[in-house]
Amino acid sequence: MNLLKNIALTVALVVFSSAAFAQSFDRSKAPEAGPAPKINIGDANTFTLKNGLKVYVVENRKLPTLSVSLSLFRDPIFEGDKAGYLSMFGQVMQAGTKNMSKEELDEAVDFIGANLSAGATGMYGYSLTRHQDKLMDLMTDVLYNPLFPEEELEKATKQQISGIASAKEDPEAISGKIVDALLYGDDHPYGEQVTEETATNVSIDDIKAYYNTYYKPNIASLVLVGNIDVKEAKKLAKKYFDKWEKGTVPTMSYEDPAPTAITGVALMNRESSVQSVINITHTIPLTTGDEDQITVSVLNNILGGSSSSRLFRNLREDKGYTYGAYSNISAQRLVGSFSASASVRNAVTDSAVTEFMNELTAIRTEDVTDEEINNAKASLTGSFARSLESPQTVANFALNIDRYDLPKDYYATYLQKLDNVSKADVKTAANAYIHPDKANIVVVGNAKEIASGLAQFGEIQYFDADGNPTDAPKAAESADLSAEDVFANYVNAVGGEEVVKANKDIKMVGTATVQERPIELVMVYGEPKQFSMVMNMMGMTMSEQTVNGDNFSSVAQGQTIPLRDVDKQQLTREAYFVPELFMEEIGGEAEVLGIEVVDGKRAYVVKITDSAGAYTNYYDAETFLKIRKVSTTETPQGDMTQTITYGNWQDFDGLMIPTLMIQDLGPIKLDITFNVVELNSGAVSVFD
Amino acid sequence: MNYLLSLVCSLCLFVGASTSQILANSLVMPNDDAPKIEYVKYTLDNGLKVILHKDSSTPIVAVSVLYHVGSKNEDPDRTGFAHFFEHLMFEGSKNIERGQMDKMIAAAGGTYNANTSNDRTFYYEILPSNQLKLGLWIESERMLHAIVDTLGVETQRAVVKEEKRLRVDNQPYGSILEETLKRAYTKHPYRWAPIGSMEHLDAASFEDFTRFYETFYVPNNATLSIAGDIDIEETKKMIDGYFTEIPRGTVEIPRPTIKEPKQTEEVRDIVYDNIQLPAVIQAYKMPPQGTHDAYAFEVLSTLLTGGASARMQKQLVDQDQKAVAVAAIPLSLEDGGLFINYGIANMGIEAEDLEAGMDAVIKTVQNELIPEKEFQKVMNQIEASFVSTNSRIASIAESLANYEVYYGDAELINTVIDKYRKVTREDLKRVASEYLIPQNRVVLYYLPKSAQPESSESQGDE
Repeated sequence: MNLLKNIALTVALVVFSSAAFAQSFDRSKAPEAGPAPKINIGDANTFTLKNGLKVYVVENRKLPTLSVSLSLFRDPIFEGDKAGYLSMFGQVMQAGTKNMSKEELDEAVDFIGANLSAGATGMYGYSLTRHQDKLMDLMTDVLYNPLFPEEELEKATKQQISGIASAKEDPEAISGKIVDALLYGDDHPYGEQVTEETATNVSIDDIKAYYNTYYKPNIASLVLVGNIDVKEAKKLAKKYFDKWEKGTVPTMSYEDPAPTAITGVALMNRESSVQSVINITHTIPLTTGDEDQITVSVLNNILGGSSSSRLFRNLREDKGYTYGAYSNISAQRLVGSFSASASVRNAVTDSAVTEFMNELTAIRTEDVTDEEINNAKASLTGSFARSLESPQTVANFALNIDRYDLPKDYYATYLQKLDNVSKADVKTAANAYIHPDKANIVVVGNAKEIASGLAQFGEIQYFDADGNPTDAPKAAESADLSAEDVFANYVNAVGGEEVVKANKDIKMVGTATVQERPIELVMVYGEPKQFSMVMNMMGMTMSEQTVNGDNFSSVAQGQTIPLRDVDKQQLTREAYFVPELFMEEIGGEAEVLGIEVVDGKRAYVVKITDSAGAYTNYYDAETFLKIRKVSTTETPQGDMTQTITYGNWQDFDGLMIPTLMIQDLGPIKLDITFNVVELNSGAVSVFD
Repeated sequence: MNYLLSLVCSLCLFVGASTSQILANSLVMPNDDAPKIEYVKYTLDNGLKVILHKDSSTPIVAVSVLYHVGSKNEDPDRTGFAHFFEHLMFEGSKNIERGQMDKMIAAAGGTYNANTSNDRTFYYEILPSNQLKLGLWIESERMLHAIVDTLGVETQRAVVKEEKRLRVDNQPYGSILEETLKRAYTKHPYRWAPIGSMEHLDAASFEDFTRFYETFYVPNNATLSIAGDIDIEETKKMIDGYFTEIPRGTVEIPRPTIKEPKQTEEVRDIVYDNIQLPAVIQAYKMPPQGTHDAYAFEVLSTLLTGGASARMQKQLVDQDQKAVAVAAIPLSLEDGGLFINYGIANMGIEAEDLEAGMDAVIKTVQNELIPEKEFQKVMNQIEASFVSTNSRIASIAESLANYEVYYGDAELINTVIDKYRKVTREDLKRVASEYLIPQNRVVLYYLPKSAQPESSESQGDE
């Protein structure tokens, strides 16, 4: 950091200090921790009733309350053309019993200041100890004698439809729908969507059938937490649940959804968006109970699981793009998922995705640091300790051990297992569960402002607010100029035809950094269709490309590359300092698609299609200087999209030249600054 | 359905007051069963109030500091400042390098957060109990000599702008608090929301920061509240070691004395937003928090929307099906907040229709004393809530600080229930009749943009 910058920063620093007093504690450094306290996990007692109901009891006398949680453990259900009945089930089940109307039931629950709710996967009740008998009466009345009134289903359906309509405006909800569609597909329980149509298809018989099929003690767990001991719990459980009859419950299995083959962009055009909701996501073969979970939690903590994580520090603290950037690696029953997400302001959408991709790549290729892994373990240890403040936690431990076949000492040895996770383990997990090259980049935002910047990451597929594929939006602003006009204006902007044609000896030397190594780029333009580009790294020539009339050559690390016709055509496009003057010679058809906003500026979008494919140029609508060029090339490895952004235009004797070029080739990004520009220096001798 | 409920619940965040403050205010019922919270309270020579509560059931400790400064203390040309400052206070101090504060807490196995309301700013860490010193050191560093540099300021400016975009601009119904406050208050600083304005954030300078810090971030304007697995005597020694050297502030702390003139006319307006379902917001002026009538409003809130059998729920969501979700929430503020009725219309229901339904429910409370049994039910709900309110050390620390700062009486954590007990059925009828009248309210209709007539301009962010 140079001296001037140092002084400037010191001047800008505002130090709020005060007169020094005698200190009894040395505050110049962080204090030492005391001896580590013992973490007492506590116990859940369990017993099973004859009908198969598993009961878990956690005694905690701190508060005079009891929480009663009944949960059903079943396979995920595919609702199909009646999607929605699972989410409406609870409201209908709670709408009164054969003994009490809904109104009476609601009144009775509120009268004792209790909570009572029911859903497709169970029931929950909570009350003061002194009211717990009444709570149990009400809860089991609902459990055994639900009324299932049809008018409640109608109400629920109407509310469901209102909710669906509302979600269409919420960018996070929209993103969720697209993610589900892409990751799981609409014939998988995780991917199916509730629509107005499916919700309306649900009949009261469907609700009743669900209850009759799945509300069975042999797949249920009863968790009692609070002011109760095992003896009291046994008494309660037998009194209220012995009568519950067991029954056969169907099991289901599903095919794994197809994994994402190649990274693509899924874009939902939300015109009112001032932020883009970004989610980079794909499925992973991680299911609940997997032994990788502890390592994965360390990995996720480092990557994006806290405010000290890489994603948070990069996108929020370093770049200020967002209020928060996070990652999530979740195990689920059928198949897991990886997700990295943030909401960022429109203008930095593409930059944010670039940073995400950089982080997702880096964590796979290099070991995390000692500091990172130690901090992650400390953080997760603390989190584990804090979770024990709630007596519910111990109950969940016992439940998980039973449900997912975990070893009995899983949680007792959790901290030890956590401590044993190595950097190599983290790297292995990163490579197993994070795939930036096979991910869905789901973005909900203002397409006019962000689409062009996203093209570099992969093919863009548009989606609507329901998560269904749709067409790309038409450019809202139609252009008043023809392609020829735009090209002519560009030529004028860079100096005019005469000046351009007069310069037949242009040399530009630029520097950039690739994977922390400096590289040098030397470009020479001679007569029209005379062009040479040489890339040097550490004194060695890495590549050389030359066009001289009808002669083409490309050499990389000493090897001559055979050039196909499409390659020659691509080189031809580069072989003119101002190609817009020579479009006829270069070949192809040019079309103005309209006006879009690029990097906050309105720009004419001109698409040119020639024998090598299509590329799109963007010209600033005010100045007509070229802002960007996006081209897609077919390679044996697949389509490759390259974006070049031009900036720092400077005047060289009347000729305007961009001295900043940012080349984005997806995984590689080059920020090239041209420090040396020489006109008529004799550099064209290279073409002799 | 869950989605819409969460929108309504998120209004609790919108209103700016901390969730636990709302809980604390609404939970207290005199009850032998609720565990009594014991604590030690004292004041240092420099004015710092200290409250210590020991709870060794889990080996963790919550360290928190409440600074009695919120958006109402801001310069009208520098709104958003108190909240912006909350971000800056994580940037570091003379002895804590930029970016290290949160790293240290995480590395110690802790977690942290902060929030700013119209009335105060609150910081807390939850740490393993052997890391108490770390929490004290960090909070004392922040109070003694926080450092702010250009890089930190620029970054947090951008971050806070993104926070506003996330919570307000890009969020359906996100601007409700802003739009309500600016119409409800004409003179009082409550007229702007804690998040403030982007332009003011851009204009803020270093001199602004210095002045704000020296005025408000001083021990005589702060309360240090600690709850968890601590040894009281050892903790006192540590507090001495880290906090006694911090000098008392020398600037007189400005507390706005502007009285919002009594509202005499209803204010009505329409906001067109990116939504599909209309929403109706009715915001009535409330008396200052801590008054008898303010507690009556808390009870009224439970009566109206405190459970499935509550009046508005039953009538509007269940029977008439005019609303998918409805809430009656008191936004309690030091100088008098707002009682907000908020409903999201069901499909096919017009805003006018929903409002008529909301008014009709209010009328039932105004016209007749609520039946004894119903009143008992409401009190039982409040009592039961109170028992559970002091179950986490973080919320105990916050409640102790709130009660001490707002009312000068930390003991309210145990006794505030008496205030609720004093509310009678007659009080409910009276406050409904006195305050829930058109001349005392702002009514906003949030309508979809598709309903906007071509000629009028849409209300957007400023």
